[in-house]
Amino acid sequence: MPIDLKAQTCPTREQRANGINAYYGKASELVRDARAGCLQHKERSFQQNAGCLLNFYLTVRVATIRDAVMIVHAPVGCSAPALLYREVYRRLPPKLGRPEQFDLHWLTTNLSEKDVVFGGVEKLRSAIREATDRYHPRAIFVLASCTSGIIGDDIEGVIVEEQAHTEATIVPIHCEGIRSRIVQTGYDAFWHGVLKYLVKKPRRKQPDLVNVASMLSYTWQDRLEITRLLDRLGLRVNFVPEFATVEQFETLSEAALTAPLCPTYTDYLSRGLEQEYGVPYFLYPSPVGIANTDEWLRTVARYTGKEHLVEALIAEEHETAVPRMDALREAFAKLKPDGEPFTVLGSLGQGRLLTQTPFFKELGIATPVTICQDFDNLILDEMDTMVKQTGDFDIMVNTFQAAEVAHTARKYDPDMVLSCPFMGSAYKREKGQTRIHALRGDGREWSTQAGYRGAVACGNFLLQSTKNRAFQQTMLKKTPEPYHDWWFQQPNPHHFFKDDGVAK
Amino acid sequence: MTRKSTYQPPVAGVGDTGVVEAPRFSCALGGAYASALATYGTVPILHSGSGCGMANAHGLTFAAGLNTGGAHGTTSTPCSSLVEEHVIFGGEKKLRALLDSTLSLMKGELFAVISGCVPSLIGDDVEAVVKEFKDRAPIIHVRSAGFAGSSYNGYELYLDAVIDQLLAPRPKNPRQVNILGIVPNQDVFWKGNLQVLEALLGSVGLEVNTIFTDFDGLGALRRIPSAALNLVFSPWVGTATARKLEERFGTPFRVVDSVPIGPKQSAQLLGLVADLLPVDRERLTRVITEEERRAYRYAEYFAEAFVVSLPHAYFAVVADSATALGLLRYGTNELGWNPELVVVTDNPPASVRGEIAAKLAEGLTSVVKPRVVFEIDSHRIRQELRTVKVQLVLASSLEKHIAPEELDAIHLSVAYPIFDRVVLERSYAGFRGGLAFFEDLTATYAGPL
Repeated sequence: MPIDLKAQTCPTREQRANGINAYYGKASELVRDARAGCLQHKERSFQQNAGCLLNFYLTVRVATIRDAVMIVHAPVGCSAPALLYREVYRRLPPKLGRPEQFDLHWLTTNLSEKDVVFGGVEKLRSAIREATDRYHPRAIFVLASCTSGIIGDDIEGVIVEEQAHTEATIVPIHCEGIRSRIVQTGYDAFWHGVLKYLVKKPRRKQPDLVNVASMLSYTWQDRLEITRLLDRLGLRVNFVPEFATVEQFETLSEAALTAPLCPTYTDYLSRGLEQEYGVPYFLYPSPVGIANTDEWLRTVARYTGKEHLVEALIAEEHETAVPRMDALREAFAKLKPDGEPFTVLGSLGQGRLLTQTPFFKELGIATPVTICQDFDNLILDEMDTMVKQTGDFDIMVNTFQAAEVAHTARKYDPDMVLSCPFMGSAYKREKGQTRIHALRGDGREWSTQAGYRGAVACGNFLLQSTKNRAFQQTMLKKTPEPYHDWWFQQPNPHHFFKDDGVAK
Repeated sequence: MTRKSTYQPPVAGVGDTGVVEAPRFSCALGGAYASALATYGTVPILHSGSGCGMANAHGLTFAAGLNTGGAHGTTSTPCSSLVEEHVIFGGEKKLRALLDSTLSLMKGELFAVISGCVPSLIGDDVEAVVKEFKDRAPIIHVRSAGFAGSSYNGYELYLDAVIDQLLAPRPKNPRQVNILGIVPNQDVFWKGNLQVLEALLGSVGLEVNTIFTDFDGLGALRRIPSAALNLVFSPWVGTATARKLEERFGTPFRVVDSVPIGPKQSAQLLGLVADLLPVDRERLTRVITEEERRAYRYAEYFAEAFVVSLPHAYFAVVADSATALGLLRYGTNELGWNPELVVVTDNPPASVRGEIAAKLAEGLTSVVKPRVVFEIDSHRIRQELRTVKVQLVLASSLEKHIAPEELDAIHLSVAYPIFDRVVLERSYAGFRGGLAFFEDLTATYAGPL
């Protein structure tokens, strides 16, 4: 399905790729059912907080674009996560590459009862003017909300009128929470706005420039590692969106390639840049783990004419990284008796499902089961390949459903549970638990996951977490469980799916 | 998404503040959600879009000293996660299924259905659905569309629902005092403040119902009508609740306007309640004497360094009205600083602003009287700060970098949002609270000479 930039916004992931966020079964069956087109959305009769298109976490991401202003056209609570805007990234020392002086800006139209009755477009107009007067930004992002959508505010109409006398490029983003059950639709809605309004026709091609759309969940050190590796190939990286300048968006069209860090996050942008400006892309693999970093670098080199440099780079990096990975694998092998593998349950996004699962295998860690936020057809081939490489496993597809996560962890009882940030009581365990990832503002080498250094750092991070379980065990013992016992006594983590098992 | 709104405003007159940069509060749903999470044993159930809980987990509880919401917070909170088809066909069926499953799955003493923007806009009859479950568990419904007001209003809406749907008259307990006006998370120090108030008023024989720090949350709510007095620790938040409790249960109330910080304010509070309730005067005098003696003894341990490091400092306060009043008075009347500027950030109604401004100017020992500004816009607050020459900025963590970089001033986060330190039981309230405040403040700049 080509991207239609004449449209106001992207299709939802449900429309574009049959996205779902409720499934429980074998990974191979999930692929088979998806291929056969018989995956169906399932309602749950019990659901928990999971984020929406706007707040997973466009408010936080867009507010970090440096010479722009974000306007959240919504009631006041929708933008509250962005209250961190004056402090975010400040912990990173300037010596790690963040500018000493920078200023981020956002406004809310603070929709009130009156606006709900009479419409909020005049407030949006005054917000655009206020943003211009205050900051003279190069871009103004207008983020829609459930309320602006339901009351039928004509956002495009105001923007067309205001654009005529506004220097900044105004970018509407249709991330109304009610649009879609799949939070990744919010990513696509953002990229749609970027592609439609912000990316300029290339003035020149920059054959040494590689676009990388990097997730909030990859850290600053991941950026540094990718920059280091591509620098060895004579390439520069254009990291968007977080902490980028507007010019970096404008010149996305000039790059030689769009390479993935998280394929499902990057998907819409990658396809759009190829369709509109002929910028090639690939989506698999990501530079996580030794083998996939090798393959990622080779693919980048192929697209940028650096094949003559890449094998030497890989060989050189292996000299340091491979012995360390071998040592880590031995250490993990010793954790269990009689050659039994150390087992892990990861709570992963679609992207990390593809990247982390092979990485665990490199460490000799088994993944009998995994939790994935959502699933769509965009990653079918990659998923197929990956399952063939790593072997089959069980998969629970849910977007942050804490009770289902708790049940799955209890049922499979793996040696280690890797939890997303802010996942309720998921950290309370008798066996091991640690975080699956840190966040962009984390500048510690300890938290690196990408590239060769990231593979070693992440392996060490996981190993470290096996050495003391006191906090998780104590909290399990000393604090009450929010769910009744019957929940754990019945066998199905998908108990609340309205239609049991796999849709036929 | 073009369905016409069926929304009718339930109350007129909630202020429309216009376009604003980074205001220091969340929405009404956020305030109700935070209050339900703070009532121990309560399971909040959000009838809303699926992002409302996450937005407030990150924007309200996490912004309150890097807290998460506890066992029923963040992703543990049940939510009906409404999408477009519910906008068209209604969300009642979805809510009914959610209530049924939540009551069977989640342990709770009280279930609080908190409805947000979407059900209000599409006209869901939430009351009717909630009513179906009344015989299964204590359950209330808080109608708190995000656009209906701020998190301060949401706190009041939550207590309104409690009063209307849960409370019944009880015999009066002449020693019981309820604490109102301290909004969980909006007052970042709410846990510590409530515990200190309990101990402080308890020290003269009163039984304090803090509501939110009680492990019997439902019991604490049900005990509200038996109080002999309601104390409101804000010049405006919770006053409507107190009036309603007076009408409903005949409980008188007194607006104290701020949580007392340091010996002078604490002694004043004890004197005030002794005038209103049966308090043994001798015991009162003994408590004040002993606590003062102790607080000032320890003040001596920092005093000599203090008169070198931060004497007579010009200072600015950027905070909600209650926090601003308490710190302004402590800094001025106990530490001898000079108040230059107070920015009140909680958007009090126009009707009480004159009174708040007067309170901020009265009873100060300094020659300097502060300029008082009511401002919620973080850009304009920054501009206000640039007009003064101060050595100290007591504010939110939004000012953390502005204070040293633009004003050459020391900064301490004392008001929401606070992203630069964890606040659990920390409190500046009470006789010893001033010392805790000083410890935190000096941690930001103290060191070898």
